[in-house]
Amino acid sequence: MKEEEELLVKLKSAILKGEPNNAIELVNKSINMGIPVKEILNKAILKGAEEAGNLYEKDEYFLPDLLMTGDAINVATDLLKNSLKEKSEIESKGTILIGTVEGDVHDLGKSLVVSLLQGQGFEVVDLGSDVSPEEFLRNAKEISPILIGLSGLMTMSISKMVETVNLLKSENIQSRIIVGGGILSKESCDMIGADDFAKDGWEGVKKINNLIQIKEVKQ
Amino acid sequence: MVKDWSASVNRIFRTIGGSKRVDKVPFLAFAGEQMICRVTGKTVKELYSSPKIYANAIINTFEFLDTDSINVPSAYAGPSEALAFAEANNKLDAIKWFDYKPLMCKQGVICKSEEDIEKLEIPDHGKNNLWKTTLLTAKMINDKIKFPQVISLSIWSVVQELRGLEAYKDMRRNPDLLLKLCEKIYESQMDVYENWLEIVGMPPNVFIAGYSFNRHMMSFQDAMRYEGQFIKRMMNKIKVPFMLHNCGTSPYFTEVVKEIDFIAVNGSHPLDIEYWIDFKKKNPKIVIIGANIDVSREMFTGTPTDVEEKVKENILNLAPGGRYICCPVCSLPWGVSIPNILAIPKAIEKYGHYPIKVN
Repeated sequence: MKEEEELLVKLKSAILKGEPNNAIELVNKSINMGIPVKEILNKAILKGAEEAGNLYEKDEYFLPDLLMTGDAINVATDLLKNSLKEKSEIESKGTILIGTVEGDVHDLGKSLVVSLLQGQGFEVVDLGSDVSPEEFLRNAKEISPILIGLSGLMTMSISKMVETVNLLKSENIQSRIIVGGGILSKESCDMIGADDFAKDGWEGVKKINNLIQIKEVKQ
Repeated sequence: MVKDWSASVNRIFRTIGGSKRVDKVPFLAFAGEQMICRVTGKTVKELYSSPKIYANAIINTFEFLDTDSINVPSAYAGPSEALAFAEANNKLDAIKWFDYKPLMCKQGVICKSEEDIEKLEIPDHGKNNLWKTTLLTAKMINDKIKFPQVISLSIWSVVQELRGLEAYKDMRRNPDLLLKLCEKIYESQMDVYENWLEIVGMPPNVFIAGYSFNRHMMSFQDAMRYEGQFIKRMMNKIKVPFMLHNCGTSPYFTEVVKEIDFIAVNGSHPLDIEYWIDFKKKNPKIVIIGANIDVSREMFTGTPTDVEEKVKENILNLAPGGRYICCPVCSLPWGVSIPNILAIPKAIEKYGHYPIKVN
């Protein structure tokens, strides 16, 4: 038992420090030792991600650190999923559709959000950058996501967010909508017609979780 | 009425120089290609088709917006520099053109691999079409309205264009590689400067688009390592005062002015006016270009009255004693109403004449 716990502590540390190669080795060891997948996920991977987020909020971690943590999370969770194959021990928390709006090619914050959400058990469909309102709509109809995230760095992206949200709503898409980008404010979020906004990737992850919880409670 | 650009030149440059002989608070705005297209009805490619067309469109736009500033938007170490690198390295697929807004670079395509960085060719800006047009346009504006054009340089802005997301990971897994890229970009930026000197002439100031200097991007130590040290080197070579722009939400203005001798800082955050009052108190010789007028707030969602109130707050708190330039940050987006923009010079006219009447 002690050996298993030590292994999970080491894996958590590899996630926190953003060491993908180390994380792969430790996940493999944990699986071979027979540690349940849920335990590996909750006690090591998600715990490591949570600690990285706490350090970011205290200005001890910065974007590069979070991105490295995100990389480690991704390789670790991919390995866990592959080890399961037929067993559905990791349940998907739902599908999220995300992309940078048309005319904007910045994807820094969005990429961080994608990797951290995947690590938390969401299915994330990332449409990439420069995504037209019609493309968001087509994908939303196809996959019925629980939430849609529109990202944009530039001030000119706000108009495109308005256009995208209007189109989604006019076509009766029921998903919650969050917009992300350092340019956004409560006022611009209200004007866009989104449910919430986030100024950076980490805030985005937290607010997406909140929005999804609110939706679950309402349902 | 014909605009008196000489009055604007005096207003802006005397304020930057800390002179007491300033009639009123200057108005500086970033009208990018998008705004110029909106005002003139021309496409971006039409603007770039000749220095004469471009210069006239820029002058008409800034006169229409009643600013005291004027600049060539493509003379900026962002997309135009990415285009120059794309051309020099046969990677034009990284570039996307639009009709009514500036071109964009798909971030991380030009320097996708380590080998791309090792083999990266430095562009010759004197041979690049957009840069040639840009430089000749700046020269034409200098000549036509006698407004000395300020050069804009950057390191991190270009790193992001070329290397994208991977640059942030390089900081932790391969810092030497990242520094090598920064060195190449520094070399390229100095080539921009050399061409500027030759075609436009000596700039009165250098405007650094210092995107690294923000807590959301990286630690202050990393910002100094990957951008700050290169700015210091630029300062050693270009003997004119430097100004720092950062339009992010958590800028390191307070920290950076202790390390680098900037004559002015330009940003819209923090939004708390008390930060800026304190900044001015602690750095009385540094010009504030801003301060908390964010284009995505009052400018975008408010009314001319809201904008007037914001300008009034800035002027009454930051203009007494001089060294304050009123400036919404960042680039004016497509959706900002023209009356909201024009509310700024109107508010300056009302509250911004020196001596400022605080009560």
